[in-house]
Amino acid sequence: MTRSLAFEVFRYAMIMLAVAVTLIPILWMASMAFKPIPEWQATGAALTWWPKAPTLDNFRFVFGVSNSDLIVALDRTALKPILASFLAAGIGTVIAMTAGTAAAYGLSRFGSGGNLPLALVQLRLFPPMAVMTPVMIMWAFLNMTDTWWGLALVYGIVTLPFAFWLMKTFFDDMPREIEEAALVEGCSRARVFWRITLPMMRAPLASAALFVFILNWSDYLIALLLTTREWVTIPVYMASLSSSMTGQLYGAKAALGLMAAVPPVVLGVLIQKHLVRGLTFGALKQ
Amino acid sequence: MKDESANLSFRLTLPAQVLVLFISVFPLLMQAYISLTDWSPLSGQSWTQAWAFWNTFANYSDLLSDGRLWSALGRTAFVMAVCVPIEFMLGLGLATLFMDDFRGKRVFYSILIMPMMVVPAVAGYMFFMLFQSGGPVNDILSMFTGSPVTIAWLSNPKLALVAVMVADIWQWTPLMFLILLAGLVGVPEDQVRAATLLGANPLQRFTSIVLPRMKTIIGIALAIRVIECFKIFDTLFIMTGGGPGVATETISVYIYKIATQDLIWGYVAAIALAILIVLSVVCVWALKRMARVRA
Repeated sequence: MTRSLAFEVFRYAMIMLAVAVTLIPILWMASMAFKPIPEWQATGAALTWWPKAPTLDNFRFVFGVSNSDLIVALDRTALKPILASFLAAGIGTVIAMTAGTAAAYGLSRFGSGGNLPLALVQLRLFPPMAVMTPVMIMWAFLNMTDTWWGLALVYGIVTLPFAFWLMKTFFDDMPREIEEAALVEGCSRARVFWRITLPMMRAPLASAALFVFILNWSDYLIALLLTTREWVTIPVYMASLSSSMTGQLYGAKAALGLMAAVPPVVLGVLIQKHLVRGLTFGALKQ
Repeated sequence: MKDESANLSFRLTLPAQVLVLFISVFPLLMQAYISLTDWSPLSGQSWTQAWAFWNTFANYSDLLSDGRLWSALGRTAFVMAVCVPIEFMLGLGLATLFMDDFRGKRVFYSILIMPMMVVPAVAGYMFFMLFQSGGPVNDILSMFTGSPVTIAWLSNPKLALVAVMVADIWQWTPLMFLILLAGLVGVPEDQVRAATLLGANPLQRFTSIVLPRMKTIIGIALAIRVIECFKIFDTLFIMTGGGPGVATETISVYIYKIATQDLIWGYVAAIALAILIVLSVVCVWALKRMARVRA
């Protein structure tokens, strides 16, 4: 189909507008992360879109290097929250992927699992806030509040539906002839799963795991409720970075936000072609 | 052979079943129990002793007359009713522009889907900065009006809600775009071409061929956004904390506040359970309807 020149102009104009709207908030934060303190709150005519005197002070500050222009020093650095985010999101991903992959295989090949699919959809439907109070009580009882493993366990359960549905559609798509041939050769079912199915599914497994990791990494509410001090994650730590003396620590927060935003955006671009499948619970394959 | 598969399939689904039961059955029972009492973590008693504060259904009758709860629900519905259609229209519009190939398509595509991968709390902080009274949004507005604009977006009750919705639209239009584009690409090209030959104009082609084929996909996209929008918390909470006053208090923010500030957990449990029951009924009803439509 040939399109008119007018249409092409219109298309590029609209896309450029959308790109600008998409990028402005991201660029503003990125530029703020490199701005020195005097430029943080410059307004009106002094407002600058690019840092006039770019600096890495904001990054140094959140890692504990004190800044002579700020009265406050941080009582804790960003190091531990970054570690907490990686541990909780990473182990949560392992839990979700292990349970989800096994269940998906069981359901895809043997039709077992009963009400599991529906239960998992419901799990996704409920607002986390409405199920978190009993979890908070339970976690306090089990001494799992403010620990990375307590957080990781909740993440594993919360993202289990995504792991399950993604892997189920991948298993459903996989040709069964190879598995059947191995069975005929006398391989046991369990051996077929370990030796043949899983190695064949390496790429889908990796995409699903990255997808689940992004979801876990993005959480704010659950970490806000289940961690208090020792194991707060990056978003919770970032939100707590303001003091009555200096108000918002704009640049420092922007530096942290930038560090939190980079991994999922990069991973997301990497697994682009599976995003639709993951986000629609496998209902839609691209 | 039969036994082996049955055994293996049981073992395969076991971990997932255990995790789901762990997060559903026990918390639900606990919630049902606490919701019938006035228990609070401040009472000094553990939750198992909550029967000492037994009040039967008082919490449930309270929530019927809780004005703040109903206005939080209404506000959530309002945000949903404004954001989801706008996200849908913008997403659909963008997706139609991406249907055929053009220079730079892949790069633009990657850029346009970025917002939904930004951590929502970070997105909330981005918009918190943008909407400061001396911030870039007002700066851009001043460029158009020619005189300095200093609107205090986040401390004005009406504008704060607008700002929050702008952030939601920024972050989730890409999701609509992504899903709808996948749907559009799946529409068989020969049918569209045949309609063109028969003299259908683009609008006719769109409404009579493309749209009917996308019914399911549109349904899925809207359902996902409605569900997620109902839960809205992260972005909004970072931007306004539900304020000024209760101007941007949605249902999740309301529950969060009474759970962490007022600590009346018996009442929190009652609200949470009521929401879960209503949502479950809606969910089962929707799935049944979907099954009937498909059959």
